[in-house]
Amino acid sequence: MNERQKLLLKVQQLSFALVEANLYLDSHPTCEKGIAYFKKHKSELDKARAEYEEKYGALKMENALGDDDRKWCWVTEPFPWVSEYERGER
Amino acid sequence: MFAYEKRLQYPVNIKNPDPKAAKIIVSQLGGPDGEAGAALRYLSQRYAAPTREVQAMLTDIGTEELSHMEMVSAIIYQLTRNLTPAQIKESGFDAYFVDHTTGIYPVSAAGVPFDAAYFQSTGDPIADLNEDLAAEQKARITYDNILRLIDDPDVREPIKFLREREIVHYQRFGECLRLTTDLLDARNFYAFNPAFDKTKKKKQKK
Repeated sequence: MNERQKLLLKVQQLSFALVEANLYLDSHPTCEKGIAYFKKHKSELDKARAEYEEKYGALKMENALGDDDRKWCWVTEPFPWVSEYERGER
Repeated sequence: MFAYEKRLQYPVNIKNPDPKAAKIIVSQLGGPDGEAGAALRYLSQRYAAPTREVQAMLTDIGTEELSHMEMVSAIIYQLTRNLTPAQIKESGFDAYFVDHTTGIYPVSAAGVPFDAAYFQSTGDPIADLNEDLAAEQKARITYDNILRLIDDPDVREPIKFLREREIVHYQRFGECLRLTTDLLDARNFYAFNPAFDKTKKKKQKK
């Protein structure tokens, strides 16, 4: 697994933890353990996503402008249905 | 509104094309218990939900179902790359291919196009939530059947993830049903529509 794949997997894992906490908190909105779990993973996800976007391109549209404001980077990286095989990473 | 995030919820990286597998798995995109129906079901039903907890759950599970549509579509896309005409004919994928080439189109495994009649939005939260519980189980069964037919671990891993999500959603909808009946008079939960027949709601303590 290369660095990009590792970091993407980290984003996926942390984001999944938040999805799980999200659904749980919808029906248990005052659960302290649930809220602490959400908070912990939220701050880790923010860090991991920022690092991924910095190194490998935007995950969210609002972060798709390149550093020099001269390029729309949403279209410079493959869309997610393109496998690691098709990307030539394996 | 909805915002797109440019990644899959769970990784899909399939090495070997397998049009026969694609023909089966497409049912979880556009079949009777597929992800398209799931997303439309919950995102349509939420307006009749009686509490913010249930409104939130239908919104958030409905949103997750959109990401599952994307995962199933990615699986089909990857299973049908670089096919030869011989592979298309031998696998039985030719019936899909003739209309859609290798484009992604929501149909059942038997080729029936997606139909909104696969789900309901009754305007009655108890009826809707009971449908939702059944829907999650039906989708879990379909994933189980896919796992009985597919050996490739590259395909099985994301399918196993999707199967697990059906179980979690079932749990959460069970909680929604309980939250909904907790608001009502226990003597006649199922005799009226709590979203429409307002007079039958349990009196809240002030």
